[in-house]
Amino acid sequence: MQHTLSKDQTQSENGSSRRDFLKQLGVAGTLMAFGGETTLLSSTAQLSAEMSAVSASPPSVALIALNRMGFGPRLGDIAAFEALGGNDVDRMNAYVDQQINPDTIDDSAFDALYAQFNPQTLSKSRTQLWQDHIVADPQWNIRMLPFYEVERMTFLRAMFSKKQLVEVLADFWHNHFNVYAYEYYIGPTWPYFDREVIRNNIFGNFRDMLGLVAKSSAMLYYLDNAGNRVAGPNENYARELFELHTLGAENYLGVMPQGDVPLEDGVPVGYVDGDIYEATRCFTGWTVNDRNDYTPVGNTGEVYYRGDWHDRFQKYVLGQWVPADQTVQQDGEAVLDRVAYHKGTSRYIARKLCRRLISDNPPEPLIQSAADIFYNQRFASDQLKQVVEHILKSTEFRTTWGEKVKRPFEYVVSACRALDSNLVIKTYDSPSDSFMWNYGRTSQKLFQWQAPDGYPDDKNAWLSTMSLVMNWRMVKWFVGANHNDIFHADIVGQTPTNLQTATELADFWINRLIHRTLDANIRQEIIDFMAQDEGADTPLPVFQESWPGPQYRNRLRVMVALILQIPAFHEK
Amino acid sequence: MIKTTRRGFMVGCSAAIAGMAGARMNFAAFGSAEAEPNQEILVVVFLRGGWDVLNVVTPRVGHPDRIHYEEKRPDLRLPDNSLLPLGSHAFGLHPSATGLHELYNAGKLSIVQATGMHSNTRSHFDAMAYMELGTPDSRSSSTGWITRHMQTATSLPEEMLFPAMSAGNLQSQSLLGYHEAVAMSSVSRFNLRTGPWGWHDEHDLSLQNIYGAGTPGTSPITDAGMAAVDAMKYVDDATGGSSSYNPSGGAEYPSGSFGNNLKLIAQMIKLQLGLRVATIDLGGWDTHDNQAYSNGTQGHFPNLLRTLSDGMRAFYTDLSGCNSNYDRRTTLVVMSEFGRRLRENDQRGTDHGHGGMMLAMGGTINGGLYGQWPGLHTDQLYDQADLAVTTDYRTVLSELLVNRLENNNLSQVFPSYTGHTPMGIFNPVNPAVDYAIACNNRTYLPSVLK
Repeated sequence: MQHTLSKDQTQSENGSSRRDFLKQLGVAGTLMAFGGETTLLSSTAQLSAEMSAVSASPPSVALIALNRMGFGPRLGDIAAFEALGGNDVDRMNAYVDQQINPDTIDDSAFDALYAQFNPQTLSKSRTQLWQDHIVADPQWNIRMLPFYEVERMTFLRAMFSKKQLVEVLADFWHNHFNVYAYEYYIGPTWPYFDREVIRNNIFGNFRDMLGLVAKSSAMLYYLDNAGNRVAGPNENYARELFELHTLGAENYLGVMPQGDVPLEDGVPVGYVDGDIYEATRCFTGWTVNDRNDYTPVGNTGEVYYRGDWHDRFQKYVLGQWVPADQTVQQDGEAVLDRVAYHKGTSRYIARKLCRRLISDNPPEPLIQSAADIFYNQRFASDQLKQVVEHILKSTEFRTTWGEKVKRPFEYVVSACRALDSNLVIKTYDSPSDSFMWNYGRTSQKLFQWQAPDGYPDDKNAWLSTMSLVMNWRMVKWFVGANHNDIFHADIVGQTPTNLQTATELADFWINRLIHRTLDANIRQEIIDFMAQDEGADTPLPVFQESWPGPQYRNRLRVMVALILQIPAFHEK
Repeated sequence: MIKTTRRGFMVGCSAAIAGMAGARMNFAAFGSAEAEPNQEILVVVFLRGGWDVLNVVTPRVGHPDRIHYEEKRPDLRLPDNSLLPLGSHAFGLHPSATGLHELYNAGKLSIVQATGMHSNTRSHFDAMAYMELGTPDSRSSSTGWITRHMQTATSLPEEMLFPAMSAGNLQSQSLLGYHEAVAMSSVSRFNLRTGPWGWHDEHDLSLQNIYGAGTPGTSPITDAGMAAVDAMKYVDDATGGSSSYNPSGGAEYPSGSFGNNLKLIAQMIKLQLGLRVATIDLGGWDTHDNQAYSNGTQGHFPNLLRTLSDGMRAFYTDLSGCNSNYDRRTTLVVMSEFGRRLRENDQRGTDHGHGGMMLAMGGTINGGLYGQWPGLHTDQLYDQADLAVTTDYRTVLSELLVNRLENNNLSQVFPSYTGHTPMGIFNPVNPAVDYAIACNNRTYLPSVLK
């Protein structure tokens, strides 16, 4: 299918130095061990540089954990974190242990909201989704209801679930295995992909997730493998399997004979176009049982191995032969094994995880130690849990701040959480519809990035003017949004009535939303906004029922929006 | 040479601004900002996904490569009689590119065949980064090629209010590291007038103060926020808060985001905020399947090409209408990360290729067909599969930089590029031309023009 390739905003892959190095190796044809190449600053130097750039006092470890392992604190989250131990390290380790074992977390408050949400399609099996929403050919709204429910459930979980790390990682893996899901044949089965392919494997094994992705109708359609056949190979999936899903562009040596790629421990150090073409042949015949052009029988939406479309002759992928005349699926499985278990994949995935969780330029030693775990535990059923645990319990995770900015999804959800909003996102609900419509103006509609590389993770991409303006518009809309006069965020009701002056009101909300001491000038601007021309210490009739009380309450709401728009609330 | 930033300019004008406290900032305060109405404007269109240039400009019957084209493209080959003729050349344009055909016949369009990079990559993401950063084979640059142009051009004024924009939600990589650049996809939503009633102006002012008090270069968020609050203010003041815009000359932009964004660029040019460079994207060219039917003439690819072609025609019509000279000082170039494979696949699609094609449009251009055609015989193809590259994309851009934008610092804009030989596409700027401004959509005229 023609996904609209949009601009790739990610700045540069730090792996390119390695890749350039590989290419030079390729030219020289030399055998050499890796490990020393790095263009990055030492982590210590990097941290101090980052700390000097922030616009408020350094955050507590609680704030780091809640913002980068989740979508920011709700009321009470910081206190709960502080109660986890006697020092920062103990508290962080205890919190990580909770979050990587989500089944141990009491999430009953969220479960009650989920019951209110009352989804109709999210627990349906793949074949049931296929039957009800594709084969039955219902009208558009019902056909796409599974997509809408996943989208809104994702907001609901990010806003209310205590299993915050699950949500961060679900977002990570959805973007890693990006699919543009708002599509005629993909939207109807989206709960299957979200639940069985992504969420079920977040703390599991990478090869398992990779295999399920490869056999999902969503990916088979999105990257065209559903039509990949011996008579007319389509390399779209195979190319992105190498470049985006496993080894990464940092291990791409371009157009070069396969035999010229140097070996490390007997394995080619990277891949070339020849590997992509040979892998394409291995995946010929992997299609969808959709009774469309592609399959003669059945209509289940499951993967369908079509032997007469398969290229039966021998192939050569990543330095090994794939014998002729294997059964259809064996060839593709062999490719998935080789890419999933390649050392380049372990570095690429470790780098991406560190970049998501820590900084755009994560320290190379941490990437390498995480990659070692990824590789050494490649057959373990909790491989990804071990890798994530290692990163989150590192000193680097605990001591960095401000190298990432919140992307629109994180920014908007964290604002809702900070305001202790009780808006329960549901389908068929007009406040939710209005929220989603407004959110849709930001640059990060969930599951709707057209190109296969997923939404950018680099902060530069999200610091565009339009992106910031749309974020700011969203929170300004939100502080005033109400349904039948019940505000989505009860800003007035949460303000203690003994607070009277602009200074008191500003300080209360700064502390409540930012949790740190602000730059004095910024604090003064916020106070000045609340005071206007009435003096910072003059009592204001914010709680007066009659006029001009309502006018002051709106001023208070806009002041809260202003606090959410300052640099400190964008950092993470 | 370091240009005075918009922020530096504002600080320098602080007395003038302070003198207008309480009132909306009037552009009279920025009289010098558009005191150079003869400046050249560059618009860069990037076609995301790699466009199938062999079905945009196609060998005709009589061309020695027609046989290879027909053999490798049993389903997608365009019939000879469907092609729009390009003068006496043995190539023709896709039938849906009527806008391009008109521009070509009027001498306002140049087509450069077999352009691209010599990098051995068929990756979208590598190729796009290489091209937009202006550094083939490396993705490590922290600035894009347009950023470096803006930083090194000596012809630009000392002070610029609104020098660069990406028409869309996100900023182009070619503008990476340029903090003066503005990303924008809508005038009507490019403000914070939403939410609780009242306090809009006061809120805007506080946000301007908060971001304005920051020190440029200390934090990426502060830099970006500064650009955002300033840009909102300029756009708001210049439009009077109205998003209405009537294109000149009866120009009709295609519906959809590309047409809207192109129209937005024209609007911003005519507002005379000092726009010098604009980038815009059109995606959807990664046509691995169902590229077209009816011998390549109908379907997704033809529709996409029509959007491009109609959009360019509308943009040119708009800029050349109303007796203005915008068309003569605006050059639009079209590029893509690569072309597509000569041999179609079995799903009426084409996979990633190598050599591509560039277009250039402008009122002062030497229209025509350019570039050395490398041939389609297997031995002439790149990797025996794709159209080869005979013209480095930087050759086209460099000539544009030197002749139109008057920037000779090629070694800084394109660091590893050497041996530049211009192709004769772009006429040098003639400083004697009097660019009288006849149409102006701006609420406030700069004092110098009053």
